[in-house]
Amino acid sequence: MIRIIKKTDFPFIKFSKTAITISLVIIAIGVISLIFRGLSFGIDFTGGTLIQVKFNQPRTIEDIRAVLVTVKLENSIIQKSGDNEYIIRVPQGENSGNLVDVVKSSLNITDQNILRLEQVGPKIGKELRGAALIAIFFSFIVIGIYIAMRFQFQYSIGAILSLVHDVLITLTVFTIFQLEVSLSTIAAFLTIIGYSLNDTIVVFDRVRENLKLYRNETYERIMDISINETLSRTIITDMTVFFVVLCLLIVPGEIRIFAIAMTVGSIAGTYSTIYIAGPVVVFWSRRFKRPNK
Amino acid sequence: MFKKNVVRFIIIGLTLVLAGYSLYWTIAYHSFSDQKQEELRTKGALGKYESRIIRLGLDLQGGMHIVMELDLPKLVETLASNKTPQFMAILNAAASEAVANEEDFFDVFRRKVNDSDLKLVRHFNGRGFKNSEILDGIEDEAKDAVNRAMEVIRNRVDQFGVSEPSIQKAGKYRIIVELAGIKDIARARDLIQNTALLEFILLKDPAITQSFIAAADNYLKTGKIDEIKADAETTQKDSTVALKESKDKAMSVKELLGGTDSEAAGTAADTGLVVDEEIYKDRPLSSLLRNVDNQIGVPMRNVYAVKKILDNPEIKKLIPFDSKFLWSARTERRTLQDGTTESFYILYHVNNEPGLLGKYVSKASASLGGSGSQSSGQPIVNMSMNSDGARIFSKLTGANIGKQLAVVLDDKVWTAPFIKVKIPDGSAYIEGMGDMDEAKDIAIVLRAGALPAPLTIVEERTVGPSLGKDSIAVGIKVGILAMMVVMVFMVFYYRRSGLLADMALILNTIFTLAILAMLRATLTLPGIAGLVLTIGMAVDANVLIFERIREELERGKTVSAAISTGYARALSAILDSNITTLLTALILMQTGTGPIKGFAITLFWGITSSMFTAIFVTRTFYNWRIEKHAIKTLSI
Repeated sequence: MIRIIKKTDFPFIKFSKTAITISLVIIAIGVISLIFRGLSFGIDFTGGTLIQVKFNQPRTIEDIRAVLVTVKLENSIIQKSGDNEYIIRVPQGENSGNLVDVVKSSLNITDQNILRLEQVGPKIGKELRGAALIAIFFSFIVIGIYIAMRFQFQYSIGAILSLVHDVLITLTVFTIFQLEVSLSTIAAFLTIIGYSLNDTIVVFDRVRENLKLYRNETYERIMDISINETLSRTIITDMTVFFVVLCLLIVPGEIRIFAIAMTVGSIAGTYSTIYIAGPVVVFWSRRFKRPNK
Repeated sequence: MFKKNVVRFIIIGLTLVLAGYSLYWTIAYHSFSDQKQEELRTKGALGKYESRIIRLGLDLQGGMHIVMELDLPKLVETLASNKTPQFMAILNAAASEAVANEEDFFDVFRRKVNDSDLKLVRHFNGRGFKNSEILDGIEDEAKDAVNRAMEVIRNRVDQFGVSEPSIQKAGKYRIIVELAGIKDIARARDLIQNTALLEFILLKDPAITQSFIAAADNYLKTGKIDEIKADAETTQKDSTVALKESKDKAMSVKELLGGTDSEAAGTAADTGLVVDEEIYKDRPLSSLLRNVDNQIGVPMRNVYAVKKILDNPEIKKLIPFDSKFLWSARTERRTLQDGTTESFYILYHVNNEPGLLGKYVSKASASLGGSGSQSSGQPIVNMSMNSDGARIFSKLTGANIGKQLAVVLDDKVWTAPFIKVKIPDGSAYIEGMGDMDEAKDIAIVLRAGALPAPLTIVEERTVGPSLGKDSIAVGIKVGILAMMVVMVFMVFYYRRSGLLADMALILNTIFTLAILAMLRATLTLPGIAGLVLTIGMAVDANVLIFERIREELERGKTVSAAISTGYARALSAILDSNITTLLTALILMQTGTGPIKGFAITLFWGITSSMFTAIFVTRTFYNWRIEKHAIKTLSI
C-alpha cells in the first residue's frame, strides 16, 4: 500500500484565524484592484468583434497594427494564436457596420483566411453578463438549500462562504494579471465551485458521521478529526484534478485561461474547505447553538 | 449473493450493448469516406446516420450562429402612414431610451405617447381609434413580423445544404439561426438577411411537363436526345447542341447514383431508392416520381436523386426555356397501397416569369369558410391586394381560368390552387387547406412577402471548418492525455483497485458519449472541457471509496467486510457532492447560453453516469473477485 501521507492530527481550526486573515488580505488587494483596474472582459460581455485570421504569408503584429491604424482601428488588440495566425479584437463602437469588410480589404484577405468571426452587440453583451451572474447566484442559493436540508443550516453558511472565497480569490488573480473574462471563464468558475463544494461536502459528511461517534468531543475537535481523516482523500483527488488541469494548460487560447482559473480555483477550493468552511461551521455552532454538550 | 451479482453483470452488459448501439452510428458515419457518404446520400440512406450521430457544435465543425432582432422602431415607422415631426421625435426618443435603460421598447413608446397629446389615429390607418387599441395592434403586428421572418428563413435554409439547421425564437423579438458546417459564410449571411420574395406563378400545362419527363427518361436511358419527344418549346438550337455533346455518353446507373450495383442491392431492403431496378433502367426519371393528387410527387428518399438529374446540364437543356422546376416547401404524407406511409415533396413545373409579385398583397389571414360558400366550415386563406395588384390579378385570373397558380416564396411553392373564376377586385380566397395550421402558415407566407420584417444582426459567431477540425483534434488529444495521466496515477497508487477505477473511467466516457448521442445533444469545445473535468469528479468517487476501504482494513476488518463498509460509508459523501454538482449543472442548462450550456450538459450526464460506473460497476467486480477467489488480501 502506497501512502502519500500517514495518519495526521493537525490542529487546523486553531490556525484558522491566521488563515482567514491571510485570505482577507488577498481578497482586499483583489477588491482594490477590481475597483481601480477592473476586469478585462472579453467581447462576450462588452460587445465588439473578434476576428481570427490565418495569413497566407508571414506577418507580424506590428505589420497588422500599422495597417489597422490606417483604417482607424488603432484600438484593436492583436494577439498571435499560431503560425501566421492572429486574433484581432476590435472594441465595441469602432467603425460599426461593415467592420469585417474594412478589416478584410485593409489586410488584403478573403473569407478563406478567416478562421473565426465573432460579433457581439453591446445589448447582448450586457445580457450575457446578467445571465452569467444570475446563473452563479441561483446555483449558490440552490446549493445552500440542499446543504441545509442534508446537514444543518450553519453548514450551508460555511459552504457558501467558502465558495464566495474561492470565486473572489480567482477574481483577484484575474484582475491583477488582467486575464480575459469570457463565457468559458464563467464555466471555469462554476467548475471551481463544483470541486470546492465536493471537498467541503466530503469533510462535512465525515463531521456528520463523527458527531455520532465522538459524543463527548467539542465541535472544534470533531472538525479537526474529520479534516485530518479526509486529508489523504483531499490530497489524492486534488492531485488528479491538478493533472487534468495541467493537461488543459497545454492548449493555447481560451482553454488555457480556463485552465489557469481552474488551477487557482482548485487550490483556493482545498484551502477554503479546511480554513473557511470548517471554522465557520464551528464558530457559528459555538455562538448560536450548544451542540452535544 | 451469487445470483445477485449475475444480475449486476447482466445490467452492466445490457448498458454496454445499448451504449455500443448508440455510438455505432457515430463511428460508422465517421469511418465512411467522402465518396461513400455521397453515395449513401444519393440513396437517401445517409439521413439515418446523420440523425443518430453525436452532433458537433459550431465551434467543432465550423458554422454560423446568428442572432437577429426585430428593429421595432423601424417597424413602427414603416407601419405609420403619417410621419409628422412630433411623431418621429417621440418614436426616436422612445427608441434611444429603451436601449439606454434596457427596457421593452413598446413599454417606453406607450408611456411617451400617453405623456404627450399625440393622437395615434392620425398616424395609423385602419387600426382603430383609441391610442391603446392602436398600440396593441402594432405590438401584435411586431409578433407576427417575427413569425414571418422565421418562416422566411426556414424556407431558405436548405439552400445552404446544411444537415440540421436550427431556427429558434429567443425572447419576443429575436431569432437565433444556427447553420453548422457552412462553407460560404458571406452568402449565408446575405441569404438570411435578404428580404423575402413572394411571387404568384402559373404552372405549365401538364402535357408539356409530361413530354419533358419522357424526353429526360429517353436521354438518360440512351444518352441521346429524342427530337420528336423533346418538347416543341425547346429551342431547336439548344437541342442540337445537346445532341452533339451527348452523342456517346450513355449514362449508367452507376454514374448517376454512384456506387456499385451490388452495394445498392445489399441495402435495398430498407435504404435503397423506392424504385425497382428494372423499371429504373427503363425510365430513369419517371420511375423516381409518383402521382400525388395528380401532381408530381417525389418520395423523400428520391429527392436527392431527382435534384441531381434536374441539375444535369444536358437535362437542363430539355426543360422548356420559359419554365423551371420548383419544389414544394413542405412534404405531403400519403398512405401507400401496402399500408405504409410515405412523405412526398411535390415538384412543380412553372413559368419563369411570375404572373404577379407578392408586394401587391395588402392583407392575408386564415379563417373558416363562410356558410353558404363551397368551403363552408373549412379552413381557408383570405387575401386582398392593393388597387395596382387587383388590376394585374384580374387580368391574370381572367386569362387563366382552370390553371394552377403557385404561391412561391423564395423559390419554394407553398400551395398551388386552381383559378376558378376571374377575380376583379383583388380580394381572393384559397381553399383546400388540410387544416387550420396549414391555412395560418400560408397566410404568414403571404404576409411575409408583403411586409418584410426589419431585422438587425445583434450577435454573430462564425467558425471556419479548419479551426473546428483543429479544435476537435486538440480536444481529443487533451482528453486522452488527461485520462491517461489520471489512470496511470490511479494504478500506481491503488494497484489493482486502481485498475478497476480506470475501467470505470473508460466506461464512464463511453456511457457519457452514448447518452449525448441518444439525446441528440451537441458536443461543443466547452463540452469536451466538461467531459475532461468529469474525469476528475468520477475518480474522486473511487478515491473516496478506496480511502474508506483502506481505513476499514487498517481497523482490522476482513476484506469483504472492509469493502462493504467502505462502499456504504463513502456513499453518502459521493451522493451529496454529486447531487450538488448536478443541481449546478441543471441551473446552467436552464439559464446558460451557448458555451456554458454545452459545458453543463456534458457535466450533468458525465456525473450521472459516473455514479453508475464508479459505484455500481466497481462494486460488482469486487463482489465477483471475493466470491470467485475468496481473496484474503486486497490490492489497494
